[in-house]
Amino acid sequence: MRKRLCGIGMICVLAGMVATAPAAMAGPTERYLHVKVEDASKGESVNVNVPLSMAEKILPTINKGDMHNGHVKIGHADMDDVDIRALLDAVRTAPDNEFVTVKEKDQDVRVAKSNGNLVVHVRDAGKGGEKVDVTIPMKVVDALLSTTKDNELDVSAAIKALSDAGDAVLVTVEDASQRVRIWVDSKGSQE
Amino acid sequence: MLLLGKIALGVVGTAVAGVGLLCSEGMVEVKVVERQPEVHHVYVIAPAMLAPIAVHFAPQRDLSQAAAEIRPWMPTIRAALDQLRETDDMTLVEVKEPGEHVRVTKEGGSIVVDVEDHDDTVHVSTPIRAISSTIEQLAAAGPSI
Repeated sequence: MRKRLCGIGMICVLAGMVATAPAAMAGPTERYLHVKVEDASKGESVNVNVPLSMAEKILPTINKGDMHNGHVKIGHADMDDVDIRALLDAVRTAPDNEFVTVKEKDQDVRVAKSNGNLVVHVRDAGKGGEKVDVTIPMKVVDALLSTTKDNELDVSAAIKALSDAGDAVLVTVEDASQRVRIWVDSKGSQE
Repeated sequence: MLLLGKIALGVVGTAVAGVGLLCSEGMVEVKVVERQPEVHHVYVIAPAMLAPIAVHFAPQRDLSQAAAEIRPWMPTIRAALDQLRETDDMTLVEVKEPGEHVRVTKEGGSIVVDVEDHDDTVHVSTPIRAISSTIEQLAAAGPSI
């Protein structure tokens, strides 16, 4: 009886190994960046789907303007003398917190670090009820700052970090008629 | 009689090899349906290898401007096409407007463009390998910098 139970147990273990082997042997799942722009008033929509691995491979090949080898140069003059790198670094090292909260009659702005994400919310009742939500995983911010040069951001590393992060809605912008959505998932289509 | 048989076999063999070579990069498929003012159907299916061959024999002076412009972007184009070849079938871009629909997809080893509006329906399917070799030919045309 014990031998038979052992045999059945062994068969179950082997069956389990065979069943899970393809998943274990398969490479990492492809991840896609999706952009969807809809204009309900005009009945227009634009959908763009890009495999992140493609973006990762293409970016280092672009050497034009401020873009080179997957890095983008940020000039202080372009940013009104705001040191964007120092700003991101300060956010990265700070604990979860609300950094900016602006409440006005028609406007509500919130910038915070929450659950490993940099979060920006903007609500503007004046401009046809415009809503902006941006959620960037801090891993992506870390990757952006991973280059050693002070005046550069590593976009290529950020894309790689984005593909390693889970499914996420990165940006949504909505107003009375238009809707923009940018997100990452492992589906090749927007269905 | 035996000699005739051998010659026929040689001719058939050469023809088969030639067709095989011509089709080695797949086929370009173009389908156009014009609805206005009259209904016209155009359907062309041609070996994709003809495209790089055509570029090869095109006058160099006509291609030099395009070649000079495309050459700096060759590493990017190569990377994009390599990745496209490896990626699963998917819709890359889709634009919908009232009465208009444009779709660019990757299907099998080809890039497929479908355009549909009030007047026309256009379907173009081009193998990625052919796009790649045509662009390589184009970049190689004209004086090297």
